[in-house]
Amino acid sequence: MTDLAERALLPAGLRDILPPFAAFEAETVSRLMGVFARHGYDRVKPPMIEFEQSLGGEGAFRVMDPLTQRMMAVRSDMTPQVARIAATRLANDPRPLRLAYAGQVLQVKGTQLRAERQFGQVGVELIGATDAAAEAEILALCLESLEHVGLSGITVDLTLSKLVPAIIGEQNGDIWLRNALDHRDVGAVSAAGGETARLLTALIEAIGPADRALTRLQALDLPPAAQALRSRLVEVVALIRSALPGLTLTIDPVETRRFEYYTGVGFTIFSRRSAAEIGRGGRYLVHGEAGVGATLFMDTLMEILPKPEAPRRLYVPAGTDRQQAASFRDLGWVTINGLAAADDVAAEARRLRCSHVLQGGQPKEI
Amino acid sequence: MNRAEKLVLALPKGRILDEAMPLVRAAGIEPEPDFDNPKSRALRFSTNHPHIDIIRVRAFDVATFVAFGAAEIGIAGNDVLMEFDYPEIYAPLDLGIGKCHLAVAEPADLAGEDDPSRWSHIRVATKYPTITAKHFAQRGVQAECVKLNGAMELAPGLGLCRLIVDLVSTGSTLKANGLVEVERVAEISSRLIVNRTALKTRPEELAGWIERFREGAYGA
Repeated sequence: MTDLAERALLPAGLRDILPPFAAFEAETVSRLMGVFARHGYDRVKPPMIEFEQSLGGEGAFRVMDPLTQRMMAVRSDMTPQVARIAATRLANDPRPLRLAYAGQVLQVKGTQLRAERQFGQVGVELIGATDAAAEAEILALCLESLEHVGLSGITVDLTLSKLVPAIIGEQNGDIWLRNALDHRDVGAVSAAGGETARLLTALIEAIGPADRALTRLQALDLPPAAQALRSRLVEVVALIRSALPGLTLTIDPVETRRFEYYTGVGFTIFSRRSAAEIGRGGRYLVHGEAGVGATLFMDTLMEILPKPEAPRRLYVPAGTDRQQAASFRDLGWVTINGLAAADDVAAEARRLRCSHVLQGGQPKEI
Repeated sequence: MNRAEKLVLALPKGRILDEAMPLVRAAGIEPEPDFDNPKSRALRFSTNHPHIDIIRVRAFDVATFVAFGAAEIGIAGNDVLMEFDYPEIYAPLDLGIGKCHLAVAEPADLAGEDDPSRWSHIRVATKYPTITAKHFAQRGVQAECVKLNGAMELAPGLGLCRLIVDLVSTGSTLKANGLVEVERVAEISSRLIVNRTALKTRPEELAGWIERFREGAYGA
């Protein structure tokens, strides 16, 4: 490998984002955050790295703090940081507390579908709210912000990550049963036999469009803890239906992977344009306080957003009056300053990807 | 054609295909004639549905195509699903074909000679290193897996390992190679698999196909 090629190689799951995409991503983040801000979600900015015991979570890079000799972790998810802020420094702020955040996270490994180890999270938290209206508000807010940045074909999948544990018990050690549930493998689940297996099979068969799924779920004879979860789901679906009538809504009551953090209704945002998830969220209980939150994954989102039109670039030959160029920037032009006099101004402008040259006080197409 | 509207069905080459095709046809999907031409080098085939294509790939690759959403729907054994453990694959329907089981086997002349409860480490030849490692780890035994792609039965006799983990249907291959089955790891049959995202973003359509396969496999 040559010296330069060696320098170009990045570790797995990391990448340079180049023009124009770096600017487009920054602009998209600020538009999403703008929607959140207009709904009263105030931005917080936690540090990149903190003591591992306050961050918790798996999959974080760890380093030792030479000052305190305690372990620190680079954040792999910003949600616990926002929850910590809400529970500590903002403990005395009135509830419900509405917070928003945007930042980069780093994970020790990517997934099969998303190899990225570093990516941007943009999210909201509604803390200290127990009503089902909170789930509906967060979901509607996410969809409004995604539509605002031009995403189409959005569908939402709802889950109850504590439903299966309420049926088989939290301490279920059967790795094959869990595996079978993760794959919605009816054959393997029903092979386990018994009343529990019949119930779990029925749950898997309920997966699908929301209305059909709810009908099937309501026909099941569930243990009390699971009944409470189910009635919450019914309530949330009704609120979402009235807030977002046209939304394609599905229910998967067996979804538990990556929802370990959530205690109530959880949701995943998909788009027909991507095989990966756009965002995820749900109701949780952390530091003794109920909340609902959601996170959008910027890497997936940026891949499927319609690309913006490139701004018009205006070449300003060396020696042109600075005020002239400024007035065109105000009109939306990008101006490229010639640093030295060029023999062939048009050729120089083309070389620098400009479509126009500023001549005689006007942009002239080349 | 818009990628979002295309539906790709991934089928495994080989033994399972002969059992799977009647189910595919019963679901109302009829591939172009070239599909049945053994001389054809094509890998992708059109069907009687203009938006549905069939691809024919190796059994392990069916799972990979479906996991990444390159195919929305496929047919694969649960051995493949357990081995890869792709979170993006759902297996909502047991097709009841390709039945066999995954078993641990050892040379007949060694059987019963030592006490498995005293093992801390064993070497196993298998096509399924993940399943094998998990299976032995569950009882505190570290399995060093030697990945082979076929002819596992040769390995113990040539001193490569003591045990093998492999698919067993009649047991005649084991017997012919002086091996005996000592333990069943899992029952295997072929599943209809679907891509998780496809199931969630195109719920009615995918649920419709699952239902048609169910009717084909078990009657309406």
